[in-house]
Amino acid sequence: MASSSNPLVDPLPSATTPRRPRPGERPALLLTLTVAVIGLVFTGPFAYVVVQNFRLGADFSDIFGSSDTWSPLGRSVQLGVAVAASASVIGTTLAWLVARSDLPARRLVAVLAPLPLVFPSFVGATALITGFATGGLLERVVEPVGVDELPQLAGFRAAWFVLTLFTYPYVYLPVVARLRRLPASVEESARLLGRRPLGVFTSVVLPQARSAISAGALLVFLYTISDFGAVELLRYDTLTRVIFSNRLADRGTAMALSLLLGVLALLVVAIERRMVRHDVPVAASSRPTGLRVPLRRWRWPAAVGVVGFVGIAIVGPLASLAHWTIRGMASSRSRGSLGLDGDGLGSAVTNTVLVSIVAAIVTVAVVLPIAYATVHYRSRTGAIANTFVVGGFALPGLVTALALVFWVLSSTAFVRVYQTLPLLVLAYVIHFGAQGTRASQVAVGGVPRRLTDAARMLGAGPVRRFLSVDLPIMVPGLLAAAGLVLLSTMKELPATLLLAPIGFDTLATEIWASMETLSYAQAGLESMVLLGVSAMLTWLLVIRAADRLD
Amino acid sequence: MVSMTHVPHLLRLRAVGLSLAVLLVATACGSDDPPPDGASSDGSLDGVTITVYSGRDEELIQPVFDLFEAETGATVEARYAGSADQALLIDTEGDNSPADVFISQSPGAMGFLDQQGRLSLLSADTLDRVDESFRSESGSWVGITGRVRVLVYNTDAVDESELPRSILELTDPAYAGRVAVAPANGSFQDFVTAMRAELGDEATADWLDGMAANDAPNYPKNSAIVDAVARGEIDMGLVNHYYLVESLEEDPDLPAANHVFADGDLGSLLITTAAGVIDSSDSPDAAEALVAFLLSDAAQELSANGEKEYPLVDSVPAPDGLEPLADLAAIVVDLDVLAGGLTGTQELIDQSGIQQ
Repeated sequence: MASSSNPLVDPLPSATTPRRPRPGERPALLLTLTVAVIGLVFTGPFAYVVVQNFRLGADFSDIFGSSDTWSPLGRSVQLGVAVAASASVIGTTLAWLVARSDLPARRLVAVLAPLPLVFPSFVGATALITGFATGGLLERVVEPVGVDELPQLAGFRAAWFVLTLFTYPYVYLPVVARLRRLPASVEESARLLGRRPLGVFTSVVLPQARSAISAGALLVFLYTISDFGAVELLRYDTLTRVIFSNRLADRGTAMALSLLLGVLALLVVAIERRMVRHDVPVAASSRPTGLRVPLRRWRWPAAVGVVGFVGIAIVGPLASLAHWTIRGMASSRSRGSLGLDGDGLGSAVTNTVLVSIVAAIVTVAVVLPIAYATVHYRSRTGAIANTFVVGGFALPGLVTALALVFWVLSSTAFVRVYQTLPLLVLAYVIHFGAQGTRASQVAVGGVPRRLTDAARMLGAGPVRRFLSVDLPIMVPGLLAAAGLVLLSTMKELPATLLLAPIGFDTLATEIWASMETLSYAQAGLESMVLLGVSAMLTWLLVIRAADRLD
Repeated sequence: MVSMTHVPHLLRLRAVGLSLAVLLVATACGSDDPPPDGASSDGSLDGVTITVYSGRDEELIQPVFDLFEAETGATVEARYAGSADQALLIDTEGDNSPADVFISQSPGAMGFLDQQGRLSLLSADTLDRVDESFRSESGSWVGITGRVRVLVYNTDAVDESELPRSILELTDPAYAGRVAVAPANGSFQDFVTAMRAELGDEATADWLDGMAANDAPNYPKNSAIVDAVARGEIDMGLVNHYYLVESLEEDPDLPAANHVFADGDLGSLLITTAAGVIDSSDSPDAAEALVAFLLSDAAQELSANGEKEYPLVDSVPAPDGLEPLADLAAIVVDLDVLAGGLTGTQELIDQSGIQQ
């Protein structure tokens, strides 16, 4: 006998209880099938790595018996955990200040805060090194005040610092989306009962935002262990560095270590899922929460802190970029094709905007069924698909791209789509699916089951229920998911270089080309354009859209 | 007024130069000599599309492709990405690879494809445009331009008298902590391979250990070293010659200079960029015509001046501001050794502890 779905005999008859998996409740066959197919596509990169390991016949006992493998792995994990922790603290604090406090210039902060995500790590790290390193911009600024030696920007602390600056938006975006829709009643009660703001935050807000924070922290961890650009420039020897330096010379080792990275990612994803599954269910409301906590005497210190931090994350690299550009323009460089009006830059902007919007929409649409299957039902298929979708984020973009090349060209049916835009979008969807999934799960989890059940009782079909009940409540969360994918796609490099149709330049590939030829002036200019376009899109598509729908 | 050299203008000039060169060659030589500008300057490649995977940067090599298109009527479609990644891409694509030609920044990535059996043999006409030492022995690929390894130094921090004559001196305690290296970089690896070929594995390992004992600071790549030297973060660094040349164009006031090691020293190794035709190409003749064109006088001149690299064809002089290749006495190591030696080299580097 099927378990009851009648709300009248529901054991948890509270209006704010969200939909929670009921034992025995099974998803529709169609949903299971859809999820299975989607999940299969996302196993592609892992399957490729396994196939390559068999083909290249790497000596596992040699590789896994060596400290050359385990110590970089240890460093990867250490860095991943450290960055995830610091990014969580910063991302959550910022989100609370923007969503819940009377912080001055909140709206401006809301636009600026997600932006550091858009710096490609090779640009961001180079710019920060230029800014902070010995002989760099900052030193020139502080020299007159008597500081004459700055620490070198290299090693663990540098990698931790730089990656935290560039990844905290993975936490900030889902958490701010969550807070916007948390019902204020509990917080208000707590306040009326005499809890101080900090107490309300830790005892009421934090538990309700936990799944969003955890989602973000997971993304930060996976991004950090997959990152190559920043750790390479900051000279911190992680697993990805070993993978990259061996990718031609010793492919067996490179592929064996990629497998190790993949397994680590799958494990971490599975563990995180376990932790969140037993989380307190929280219902979101379909109306935004207008609750604002007055910061009083903390208002200005908080503002200074936010300005300081977001300032370092954005203005730091930006100052270096502007410096490159101005310096390059001032010198009479004969190569001089420097300029904003170039056709190349114009088409790069258009290409970047179009492809990242499409990738963001498609990604969220593709992962939504998985979010439903995992949040609304205890679907085993959903759980497996989820693990691969999210874990895939830890595989370096190069590996994901080569995997797609391998699978597409090994079947004659798909040869025609090779190096076309749809395939490029598929590469983005696979690589960034994790960002869409975790953020979408947070959104789906906020839909109160009573509302859906009530709609069902009133005779609304599944489509109408989805459109008129679920979607409005999920919109901020889904926009956050799409926003993450959007910003990540805008800076994506390895897959774009290998899979884009010939001549399809994006801002990231243009910046890369400029950096390769040491045209820092041009690279600086292009990076500033990238930042500007991202800010505009974030405002238009993520923030303003969310406001309008309120 | 500062004159801006826009690409179209440059092209026009080069096109005139090319026509002149063709005219001169046509009147001066007999029919024994291969035409310097590829097989066809008669539009015989009309309607042919050649797909190039280029590890060379667009800014540097696109003008050469444009010239080739104008000369032959062919269409060149170029994909730009790092050499190692492109080599992996071609290998993964297998027989379905759209690539006709691969152009690599270093012999290493080309040698990888050669080992995988993915390159077609080039004709003697094409190969003979350059000296034997600048091409693979099997004839599967050919060098296009050359870069010389140098010691870049900060002119404020280093006195000229301190500069070593040989790269082997850098293990001296006097240089402790002062000479940056990029052990993960292809050019550094090529240099180590060359050292193994010249001095043997043991001496190479000793040198690497000596550099490690001297705490040679690590940087990810040549450009990062040049930046760090120019900022004054580090005194000296082992790099390719053109990085500083290009950095000085952007900021002429940088307090940095290139030091070339003494005649015949391993430190002044010449490393070539390379081109080859992919075995699965569906228009191998047109592909080879493009490779041959890269070795034409016009293309070599364009490369030399645009890229500040050394042309490998004898008749083309070194770019302005660089010493002629012959005077540098840069040493040349069998390119097949460079191309094939990656694995052992990576092991030696890994074992030495130079990589921090």
